[in-house]
Amino acid sequence: MSTLPPPGEGASPRATDASGAPSPAPLAPTPTPPVVPNQSPTIDTRNERLDDGINRCPRCGATEIQLRPSVGMLVCLFCRHEWAEARLDETIVNGDLAALRGTTIGSGASDIDTGADSLITMKCAGCGAEVVVNTAEQMGARCHWCRHVLTVNEQVPNGAVPDAVLPFAITKDTATVKIREFAGKRRMFADRAFVRGFKPENVFGVYMPYMVVDGNVSADVAGFGEVETRQYTRGTGDNKETVYDADVYEVRRHIDFTVDDLTIEASSERAQMNAAMNTNNVINTILPFDTENAVKWNASYLTGFTSEKRDQDVAHLTPELEDQLLSIARSQVASSVDAYDRGVRWERERVEVHGTRWVAMYLPVWLYSHYDERGGKSIVHYIAVNGRTGEVMGSVPVSTPRLLAAALTVGTLIEGIVIAILGASG
Amino acid sequence: MIATLVSELTSGALLAANDGGPVWLLVLGPAGAGALYFGLWSYYRNTGTSHSFERETRIGAKPVTGHDDKVDEIEGTKKSAIDGGNHTDHRQRVQRLDS
Repeated sequence: MSTLPPPGEGASPRATDASGAPSPAPLAPTPTPPVVPNQSPTIDTRNERLDDGINRCPRCGATEIQLRPSVGMLVCLFCRHEWAEARLDETIVNGDLAALRGTTIGSGASDIDTGADSLITMKCAGCGAEVVVNTAEQMGARCHWCRHVLTVNEQVPNGAVPDAVLPFAITKDTATVKIREFAGKRRMFADRAFVRGFKPENVFGVYMPYMVVDGNVSADVAGFGEVETRQYTRGTGDNKETVYDADVYEVRRHIDFTVDDLTIEASSERAQMNAAMNTNNVINTILPFDTENAVKWNASYLTGFTSEKRDQDVAHLTPELEDQLLSIARSQVASSVDAYDRGVRWERERVEVHGTRWVAMYLPVWLYSHYDERGGKSIVHYIAVNGRTGEVMGSVPVSTPRLLAAALTVGTLIEGIVIAILGASG
Repeated sequence: MIATLVSELTSGALLAANDGGPVWLLVLGPAGAGALYFGLWSYYRNTGTSHSFERETRIGAKPVTGHDDKVDEIEGTKKSAIDGGNHTDHRQRVQRLDS
C-alpha cells in the first residue's frame, strides 16, 4: 500500500476490457489487524448504589428528588441539597479505540427479552406496600400509602433502563423561547390551524433512547476518476460546442479510523425517517449531544420528564452502523481525490469493523408537536430542541393556498418583466 | 387599457421570439414561481435535513492510502463531468463487497 501519488505519476499502461470500458478496479486486500485478546463482551454499568424502590437524598433521606436542568444536578426538594451521579466515562475502562476488538456491550444495552414484562412490582422501602410501575410509560411512581417516591433503577431486560443518561441542561423556558423564535420566522406561510393553536409552552421534555457506539474500522473504496486534459470548441457559427479530453484513472483508497460516540436511534419508530410519512428527521438533525458527559443511570433524572423505551438491539442496529461508517469513510477520503477535476465515480466499497463498543443512553430532547390532517393523510410535525446544546430544528405545516398565491404573484411579476423586455427588443 | 398594453407587449415578445430572440426568457416566470414555492416549502418543512454525522462525530483517522492508475483516455466528450460522479455524495451506497 503506497501513499498517494498525484494522478499522472506512476501511470500504468492503458487497460480496458473487451468493450473498451475500463476494467473494474480491484480492491486492495485488507491488512490483517494484529491479533489481540477479545475484551470482555459486557461492560457492567449497573448503578449498584441504587436499588429499585426508594432513592434517598444523601443528606436528609427524603425521596422528593428531581433534576435541576440549569445546573444539571439532582436536587432534593426537601433540603435543596444538590448532587450528581458519576460520569459514565469515568466509571468504565475506555482504553485506546484503535485497540478495540470484537463487540463489547454495556449491560444496559443488552438484548431485549421480548418476554420481559413492562410492569414491575416494587416493594416500598418506606412502608412495605407493593407498587406496580409500568415502565412503558414511566420510570417511577409514588407509593399510594406512604407517599414515598419509588424509582426503577435495576437494568431489567425490557429496554427501559439504559447504561447512562444525559441530563437536560436547557430549561423549559429556554426551549419555549427557541421554539417560539423558530416558528415565528415561519409564520407567514404556515398553516392557519398551526398558527391558531401554537402554544410553545406546551413543549414537553423527552428522554429519547439511543445507542452510542465507539468503533475501530477499516474501509476501502474503489472506482474511477477523470482529469481534464483539454477543453476546446468544435464547429462554427451556431453549431459551436465545447468538448473535453480527459484521462481516466482507476482509483482505490484505504483508510483506518476510529469513531467516538457515534449516535444511533434505538427506537424503531424514531429511526424511520420518511419525509412523506413523518418528521422524525428533525429530531435526528439536532444531534450531536455531548455524550461524554452522560452520567450513570438514576431514574430520578427522569422525574418530570417522559421517556421512550429502547426496542432495538445491537444486531438490529449493526446494518445502520455499517452504513454510517461507510459514509464516514467516503467523507474521509474525499479530499484525497480533489485532483480529479471532472469528479470520481465510486463503484465498490467495503467496511471491516474490527471492534465496537455499544452503550445505551437516554438523551434529552424538548419536543413541540402539532398534529396535521388533511386529505385523509395525517402527519405529526415536530419542533425539537436539543436538551443540551439548544440546537433547534422543526417542521412547520405549510398553507398551500398562501404559498401558491405568493409563487404565482412572483412568477407573474417576473413574466411581465420578461415580456416587457422582449417586447421592447422586438 | 391594461389589457391592450399586455396584448401589445405579448405580441411584441412573440415577434421577438419569432425573430430568433431569447425566447427562453419566457420560462423565467414559471421557473421563478416554482423555485419560490419549493424554496419556501423546504424552509418550512425541512424534510431534507439530518444529522451530519460524517462531520460532527469525533473521528481519529490514519492517513489515507491508495493507488491511482491511468487506464483510459477520453477524447471529444461533450460532458463536462464524469458519468455518475458521486464523490461528494457520501451517503449514496455503491456495490458492497464482503469484508
